[in-house]
Amino acid sequence: MTTATLRAGRTRPFGRVSGLRHVITPVILCGVLFALYAWISAQNLDSIESRSLTREFLLAKAVEHVQLTFLATALVVVVAIPLGVVASRARNRLIAPVILTVANLGQAIPCIGLLVLCTFLLGVGFQTALVGLVAYAVLPVLRNTMVGVQQVDPALIEAARGMGMTRGQVLRRVELKLAVPAILAGLRTALVLTVGVATLGAFVAAGGFGELIINGLKLNRMPVTIVGAVLTACIAFFIDWLSGLAEDLLKPRGI
Amino acid sequence: MFDRDTGGARIELRALTKHYPGQPAPAVDHVDLDIPAGELVVFVGPSGCGKTTTMKMINRLVEPTSGEIRIGGEDVLSLHPDELRRHIGYAIQQVGLFPHQTIGQNIGLVPKLLGWSAARTAERVEELLTLVNLEPSAFHDRYPSQLSGGQQQRVGVARALAADPPVMLMDEPFGATDPITREHLQNEFVKLQKQLRKTIIFVTHDFEEAIKLGDRIAVLRERSHIAQYDTPANILAHPADDYVAGFIGQDATLKRLALLRVGDVECTQQRGSADMPQITSDASLREALDVMLAHGTDRCGSPSGVLTYGALCEAVGTEPASASEPTPASAARKEPVGAGPATALKEAVRR
Repeated sequence: MTTATLRAGRTRPFGRVSGLRHVITPVILCGVLFALYAWISAQNLDSIESRSLTREFLLAKAVEHVQLTFLATALVVVVAIPLGVVASRARNRLIAPVILTVANLGQAIPCIGLLVLCTFLLGVGFQTALVGLVAYAVLPVLRNTMVGVQQVDPALIEAARGMGMTRGQVLRRVELKLAVPAILAGLRTALVLTVGVATLGAFVAAGGFGELIINGLKLNRMPVTIVGAVLTACIAFFIDWLSGLAEDLLKPRGI
Repeated sequence: MFDRDTGGARIELRALTKHYPGQPAPAVDHVDLDIPAGELVVFVGPSGCGKTTTMKMINRLVEPTSGEIRIGGEDVLSLHPDELRRHIGYAIQQVGLFPHQTIGQNIGLVPKLLGWSAARTAERVEELLTLVNLEPSAFHDRYPSQLSGGQQQRVGVARALAADPPVMLMDEPFGATDPITREHLQNEFVKLQKQLRKTIIFVTHDFEEAIKLGDRIAVLRERSHIAQYDTPANILAHPADDYVAGFIGQDATLKRLALLRVGDVECTQQRGSADMPQITSDASLREALDVMLAHGTDRCGSPSGVLTYGALCEAVGTEPASASEPTPASAARKEPVGAGPATALKEAVRR
């Protein structure tokens, strides 16, 4: 999260331009989904393919995928924002590098490896995938929380303290409020990352569109793989679009 | 707490010292100072002399190493710092308005912290906006980024005044504005303080500002040692030493003229002739001198009579004709020997 993006977010006017920006993504997504549907309908599907591409099966996989993504992100919020605040405090400058190193490790270790390691500890299933995803997505939120809190103008904190706000009040009413745009940007990154990485959940039997992709590859059924991949990408774009809306709505007014 | 009387409280500093760990010398060294209730005292000194540190010890943003601070007789160091700060107004150069809050919310912050009712806070915010010449209906719901620098400074002052504290600390509150806006804000502030009579500690490095605003000025040297603590007129007339004289600059006499009004001076009771330049009675003597120099005369007309060059010299305690006798002020200025006050003044104006 750079100051340039923060500034861009600040000066972005409400109105026609941003209205258009908010419409383009869903329109394109609808187009892509329609094209996919038309293409699949035109194919001669064999029995394996037609069993994988039923409405019920796709819907179940979509629900699993989205569940995995949102649960992982919710856990990331609970873990990463407090950790980011802790790491941003000047008196914690000895612990901050430790926190950051651990968060970096979570992202540096290949996710598939992490998932395999987790299987040894937790067995296969949903919760294993969840742990892997959380470890993977903590970093952007933690980093952005830290930067967001640290970039608050020291004069504001001095003024707040000088007026008799306690440290807790300064954190809640000033620092975290002003860090909201940065934190939301981090969350947006984490969500989109998680949608992609959640496909690996299929390796530990956590379901999701990863199952389609892997099955398609294993059985050499191209349409199945393509449907899984395109639907995953569509979810990623859709969630990115939703987060963009949320950023505009939740960003404190005046900044 | 000490703010039962909102009209100002006496501040006493006793042997106040701040020694940052790891530094060879204390930043503030045994400062003793009495600030009478309802007066505006300006701390003036070069950058890094410890004036801001001294001020911040009063609301304990900086914890003193040793010494004593009393406000209205109450020992400040025995109070809870956060609670103490809610009862001391605080305005800083960067203003520090919260960008995510409206002007109304910014001003109402301390009353809210003190647990005032919403109605009382709203009423107070309205009153303060009017006091600092901002139309409440137009500004109440705006955000700080929508205001000009000068307007933000006014809101900063209003916010510091919000809970009607008896004591205010101001750290170069007009420092970041352009000269015209600053002059305007200073004039307004002088008027405001006449009305409010708060005890104010005002930190600046601008001696002109100190003369203009201060009831008293404390000229500080390094480690916050007080070089001189007196009224602006006395400091200008009798600087304690070369350090203070150096801080005043070369035009002490002109600065003293600027402190006096035409109305304060005895004018000769004759009617001025029509072609004589005219000046109002609330203009400063410096402006009167400017008019005289501009018209090449030694007298000008005012509503109360004719103001002469001689009367100007008398007002600052010099003899118009004594060409060779240097006054204390001119001695401090190290003028060429033999230059009379008239030449000195003209020269000063040319500078």
